[in-house]
Amino acid sequence: MKKFLSIMLASAMALTMLTGCGGSKAGEADAQTDIKVADNVKIGIAQFAPHGSLDNCVEGFKQGLAEAGYVEGENLEIDFQNAQADMANTNQIAQSMVAENVDLICAVATPMAQAAYNAAQGKIPVIYTAVTDPVAAELAKEDGSGVGNATGTSDKLAVEAQLEMIRKFQPDAKTVGILYTTSEANSVSAIEEYKSLADNYGFEIVESGISQSADIPMAAADLASKVDCISNLTDNTVVSSLPVLLDAAKNAGIPVYGSEIEQVKNGCVATEGLDYISLGKQTGAMAARVLQGEAAESIPFETISEYSLYINSEALAALGMDCPEDLKANALEAAETE
Amino acid sequence: MALVLSVLEQGFIYTILALGVYITYKILDFPDLTVDSSFPLGAAVCVVMIKAGINPYITLPVSFLAGGVAGLVTGLIHVKFKVRDLLSGIITMTILYSINLHITGSQANVPIFSDDNIFTLSPFADKLGEYNKVVVIFVIMLVCKILMDLYLKTKSGYLLRAVGDNETVVTVLAKDKGIVKIVGLVIANALVALAGCVMCQDQRFFEISMGTGTIVIGLASVIIGTNVFGKLSFIKTTTSVIIGSVIYKACVAIAIWLGLAAIDMKLITGALFLVILVLSNFRKAGADND
Repeated sequence: MKKFLSIMLASAMALTMLTGCGGSKAGEADAQTDIKVADNVKIGIAQFAPHGSLDNCVEGFKQGLAEAGYVEGENLEIDFQNAQADMANTNQIAQSMVAENVDLICAVATPMAQAAYNAAQGKIPVIYTAVTDPVAAELAKEDGSGVGNATGTSDKLAVEAQLEMIRKFQPDAKTVGILYTTSEANSVSAIEEYKSLADNYGFEIVESGISQSADIPMAAADLASKVDCISNLTDNTVVSSLPVLLDAAKNAGIPVYGSEIEQVKNGCVATEGLDYISLGKQTGAMAARVLQGEAAESIPFETISEYSLYINSEALAALGMDCPEDLKANALEAAETE
Repeated sequence: MALVLSVLEQGFIYTILALGVYITYKILDFPDLTVDSSFPLGAAVCVVMIKAGINPYITLPVSFLAGGVAGLVTGLIHVKFKVRDLLSGIITMTILYSINLHITGSQANVPIFSDDNIFTLSPFADKLGEYNKVVVIFVIMLVCKILMDLYLKTKSGYLLRAVGDNETVVTVLAKDKGIVKIVGLVIANALVALAGCVMCQDQRFFEISMGTGTIVIGLASVIIGTNVFGKLSFIKTTTSVIIGSVIYKACVAIAIWLGLAAIDMKLITGALFLVILVLSNFRKAGADND
C-alpha cells in the first residue's frame, strides 16, 4: 500500500506540475481564437536533424505555404522544433505538438515522420517531406495513397538519370563507389536501386558502409583508391562530412557526383538531382490544400516533379574534366542558382 | 492532458530502463554502456517477432532474455577477461550495433504501424481509450518494480547489494563476487531491453539509432530519483527511480513546451544534472557536520 501511495504521489506531482503550465497555455489559445479570422492557423514543423538539405526543405515548405496564402507572422503561426537526431527527443517533440493541438504537423525526414504519424493517431494531419520511401516506412500504401491522415513528398533519388549522366561524363568508367551509413534506411534502399540499375549502364557498384562519422576518413580514402568515381547519396552522416570525402577523392584524382544541388555547390562535380527548396515548396503546396480542408490521405504522396542537371565547372576543371557537349545546353551552374 | 499522458508514458517506459541502470550504476557501481545498444536490441527482437506474426506479448519475455544475454557478454568480458568495466560495456555496445542490424535483416528502420502491438491487443483497449497506453505501460513497469523489490530481498539480491558496498563481505561469505556482478549485469540489461521492446511498440517503429544517449536518460532518472527522494525513508529506492524518470521526462517536455532552442536541450539536461548533484552533495556535507 505504501508503495502504491508513493507511486500515486509521484504521478500526482507530475500531473500538477504539467497541468499547472498547460492550463495557462490553453487559456491563451482560447483568448486568441476570439480574435482569429477564419484563416489563422498554427502548424508545427518538426525537423529530425540540423542538416543543410533538411533546412532547405523547411525553407521551401514555408515558401510553398506563403505562395498559397499562408504567411508566417500574418495568418500563420509556426512552432519549429529540431530533434537534433535524438530519437527520444523525436518522440517527445511529436507528442508535444499533438498536445498543443496544432492544425497540421510538417515532419521532416523519416524517423520524425514516423514519430509524428504515431503521435497524431490520425487526429492531426501529418505532411512529411524528405522521406525516401514512404511505402517502406509504412506512411503510404503500395498504390501511393495515404494512410491515416498523412501524406507528403519523397526525396527519392533519380538513380537512373544519375547513372546515365555519369556514363556521359565518364564513358570509360567501370566502377562507381558509394559511401553510406549502415544505420540509415534511406541510404540502404538507394544502394539497392543503384545495384539493380548499374548493369544497364555497364557499371559495377562498390559500396562502403560506415557506422559513424569517425569512420569516414579511412573508409573514404579506401573507397577512392578502388573506384573510377564516387556517387554520393543524401546520407545524413556522410553529407555532414562531405569535405572529407571530397578531399579523399581529390587525392585519388576521381570525381564525386552529388545527389542534390547543395552538394554540387560544396564541391561535387555534377548531379542529376534534387533541389530540396523546390521539394519543400511542393510539400508546402500540399499542406495548404490540407489546411483548406482536403483530407490528407486522399492526396497520394508525391516525388519531386522535375530533376535538373547541376554542375560545378570549377570542380570539373580541377580534375581536367568538362561537361559533355550534349548535356551543356540543359546544365545549370549550381553556384549561380538561388 | 495529452502532454501529461505522454510524459507519464515516456517516463514509465524509461523507468523500466532506469531500474536496470540503477542496478549497475548505484548498486554495483559499474558504469555500464551496454545500455545504449541493449535498448535497441530489445526493439529489434520485438519488431522481427511482430513482423513474423508472433503475439506481441511474447516479445516482452523474449526481449528480456535477449537483453540478459547482452548483459552476460559484458559481464563475462569484465569478469573472465579482466577488462575494465567501462571498456567491457563499450565493447558489447559496439558489437551489438552489428548484431542488431543482423537481427532486423540489415534494415535500419522497421515500421510496425500496420501490425498489432501490446497496446492494441490490451484487454483494456476499448474501455480506457486514450488512457490505455499509459495503463499498460504502468502495469508492465509496476511488475518489474515489484519483482525487483522482491529479488533484492532474496539471498542473491542481498549479495548483489553487498558487492557494490563492500566486495570483501562477499569474499568472506565464500561467494564469487564475479558471478554476483554478472548476475547484476544480466538483470540490468534484461530490463533495458524490455524497455526497448515497450518503447518500440509505443512509437510503432524500430530505428537503429534509438539507443543513442539512452544511458544518459537512465543515469539522469536514477540520479534525480535517488538524490531528491532517496533520503526519504518511507520511499523505496525503486519508487524514487520511477519518480526520477517521470521528472526527467517532464523537464524535457517543459523545455520543448517553452520553446527552448533544440540546440540548448543537452545544455539544460547537463545543467539540471549538475544542480541536483551539487545540491545533494551540499546536503550530504551538512549532514556529516551535524
